[in-house]
Amino acid sequence: MKKDKIINRRDFIQTGIRTGIGAGLGIIGFGLISRSVEGKTIWQLDPAKCVQCGNCATECVLQASAVKCIHVTDMCGYCDLCSGFFRPGALELTTGAENKLCPTGAIVRTYVEEPYFEYRIIEELCNGCGKCVQNCGAFGNGSLQLQVRQDLCVNCNQCAIARSCPAEAYSRVEPETAYLLKGFEELKITD
Amino acid sequence: MQQSIKHIKERYIHLTTIIIGCCIFLFWLFYNPVHNFTEAVPGLDNRPPRSSSLGSEVIIGEHFTFFGNAPDPSLTGRWPNFRGADFDNIAKDNVELIDSWPATGPEIMWEKDLGEGHAGVAIYEGRVYVLDYDERKERDILRCFSLVDGTELWRRGYSVPVKRNHGMSRTIPAVDGEFVLTMGPRCHVMCCDATSGEFLWGMDLVKDQKAEEPLWYTGQCPIIDNGVAVLAIGGNALLMGIDCTTGEIVWQTPNPDSLRMSHSSVVPMTIAGKKMYVYNALGGLCGVSAEESDKGKILWTIKDFTPNVIVPSPVYVGDNRIFVTAGYGAGSALVQINKSGGSFSARTLQIYKPSEGMASEQQTPLFKDGHVFNIQTKDAGTTRNQFVCCNPDDFRNILWTSSTTERFGLGPYIIADDKFYIMNDEGELTIARFSTSTFEVLDKAQVIEGDDSWAPMAIADGRLIFRDSKKMVCVDMRANE
Repeated sequence: MKKDKIINRRDFIQTGIRTGIGAGLGIIGFGLISRSVEGKTIWQLDPAKCVQCGNCATECVLQASAVKCIHVTDMCGYCDLCSGFFRPGALELTTGAENKLCPTGAIVRTYVEEPYFEYRIIEELCNGCGKCVQNCGAFGNGSLQLQVRQDLCVNCNQCAIARSCPAEAYSRVEPETAYLLKGFEELKITD
Repeated sequence: MQQSIKHIKERYIHLTTIIIGCCIFLFWLFYNPVHNFTEAVPGLDNRPPRSSSLGSEVIIGEHFTFFGNAPDPSLTGRWPNFRGADFDNIAKDNVELIDSWPATGPEIMWEKDLGEGHAGVAIYEGRVYVLDYDERKERDILRCFSLVDGTELWRRGYSVPVKRNHGMSRTIPAVDGEFVLTMGPRCHVMCCDATSGEFLWGMDLVKDQKAEEPLWYTGQCPIIDNGVAVLAIGGNALLMGIDCTTGEIVWQTPNPDSLRMSHSSVVPMTIAGKKMYVYNALGGLCGVSAEESDKGKILWTIKDFTPNVIVPSPVYVGDNRIFVTAGYGAGSALVQINKSGGSFSARTLQIYKPSEGMASEQQTPLFKDGHVFNIQTKDAGTTRNQFVCCNPDDFRNILWTSSTTERFGLGPYIIADDKFYIMNDEGELTIARFSTSTFEVLDKAQVIEGDDSWAPMAIADGRLIFRDSKKMVCVDMRANE
């Protein structure tokens, strides 16, 4: 049997104040979020224009750079000889440092089954130098691509990398299209 | 008493200082500031030891299907192996070919679906041979078609597991009218009667000859020289000659330097008056005698240019010189062969990176009228993917290019009827006038829709055959039809 609850004046006032404060904070928060997203653009680089000059690693105001290598695994060939993983002319296709291209060891590979290997980027180690991207594009199918990681980027008004980019690959993009990966969107559409 | 307490205090201070000092020293001594680093050593990818076993016995030639056997007897044209009869990719049958595409587009005579791959065809008097892979049945299959209408005449194959690895089939058969010879993706050699498809003999080069299967499968196209199959092994033997009738090994070249099989093919050349087989193996370039008196003998070897992937074959560029090139950052080299008395030696004249001169990743360059023609690699700098020309006296000096608006990629190119026929990656075929002084496009058309139209083209009796990764097409190129 449900018992009717009697609200006294003090509880009514307290509840009213709490509700008012909560609603106010909600409105302020919504307003701030709306202001931060609406009409705001963020920096991104176009992999189709990128020439892997190395500036992304050195020009960013962050240490390490907010630019990271992204692996578009939809495109990857999973080859034993990965030109983004091994330096040109590597003597052996092993994980020995002498054979690897990445100066920070940010790419790891794992044997799947003959003849396939999986390649992953350790983002914390990647400094955005683009050496792997350059070789992957030159000899492979270009599945390694540089992108500004939006969760790291502080979105400077004047992006320091964009200023020094020789290929003019940087542009302001809408948050809805925060990443400009090649060979990814097309595949997603067909999926 | 106070003196004693002071003395004890001092001793404690000294002792404490010594203990702290010792602790700091021990900490310094034993602390490893890079203890959380992971050494990059071999084996971190958990790759198991390589196995040459395919899991089941391969019975070469076990499957055969006969459909019919009546090609047009009027067809006499031949493109009997990789790069044609003279291994130069130049058609010499004097058929006049079109300069431009018809208004209605290329005249496609027939087309066939194939398994995923990059294997081109050989043509012999009305028969077309291609080594295909049937992914559903897991079989290498040698398929024989009629050049006239694409009717399949017969197919001979064997069960062998091949996984997709940027395509499965890659090699072009060799045919001499009597025999047809194939090399499968996993180093299985099969010899059949060229007309009936009767199986004659087979050989597993990995199992029988300790060859090592190259990355992305075999790319070597076998050759037949006077009824003898000439194969590069890179295992127990460097090269080997096998009687096509009996399957018996008639000569073999020792492999003292443990050179390994590349994707390149053996090319017969005559250098300084000596007929030899030139092979660009992983580990070195070599010349092996092709003359009866000393067949199979190593004449010379040079190890100055040793890329870890080699696809293009060596090209003879006159004056006893050989041009070799490779992709993946390797570049190219020009090698001079000298003869002194009865012995030969090799010397590198030029060696350079791809951004410094002519270089190719996949296709073998053309040599005609004292000039070399090639599509540049993707890492060739400003000339990347352009069709270019060099004088073999200096491969660093590009004489002309097809311009920045005419880039091609990894597609094939041939010379026929004094014209270049150049395919790009997406199936667009360009007709250009042959010239050593300039690049002049005559016409271009989309001739096949698919991706990766990289297989070497073949032409005979005015019919040009090319393919993309999944379809083969025959186009009538005759001007007077």
